[in-house]
Amino acid sequence: MTIVLEIAAMLAILIGTAFSIIGLIGYVRLPDVYTRLHATGKVGVYGVVLLLVAAVLQTPLAWGKALILIILLMVSGPVAAHAIASAAANIGLPMDNPVVDELHLEEINPEINSESHNMAYNKDMD
Amino acid sequence: MSMYDVLQTLPYITLIIHIVLVAVAVWRVWRGENVIDRLIAVDLSSTLFLAVTVIIAIISGDSIYIDIALVLAALGFISTVALSKYITTEKMF
Repeated sequence: MTIVLEIAAMLAILIGTAFSIIGLIGYVRLPDVYTRLHATGKVGVYGVVLLLVAAVLQTPLAWGKALILIILLMVSGPVAAHAIASAAANIGLPMDNPVVDELHLEEINPEINSESHNMAYNKDMD
Repeated sequence: MSMYDVLQTLPYITLIIHIVLVAVAVWRVWRGENVIDRLIAVDLSSTLFLAVTVIIAIISGDSIYIDIALVLAALGFISTVALSKYITTEKMF
């Protein structure tokens, strides 16, 4: 029975690490703030929660604290992502190649879209 | 290499991978494109350091590291919401 639990813990560690790596690759490679936020939301909810499931399965930890931490992460992750996206829309950061722009982000803050505001770092990434 | 060796060495490999991921996130705090990008990187590095603490709890088998992760999760959430509010309104209270 313990070998089944350990194999389940190993699978949870592998899948959680894969979610974290994919989230960080998406954060580095995606073009604008909103899509990067979509990628980093997966690290907080799936990556850390699967590591906590592995911790509960593999070692005799206090599972109540892990359950409280899982609930806290699943509640606070989307709220923090929504707060960051709301701040980005309020200061008028533009979307990269939008299909529909119902918030009219280009007109809120024209100076943030100018060439001088974007750093030379942008050219290195492309 | 038996099954038991794989089970023993996997948390250490995961620990090294997550420390590299924390380094990449902190590099993006230092060299971000705009202020929201850096704020996302702060949130992400806080979450990944929480993951490092959980992996240390798996390796050592000690549940005190889960307490540290709990406090880090609460403080990271509050600081992210407060900083995004500050960026929007440009005043704290």
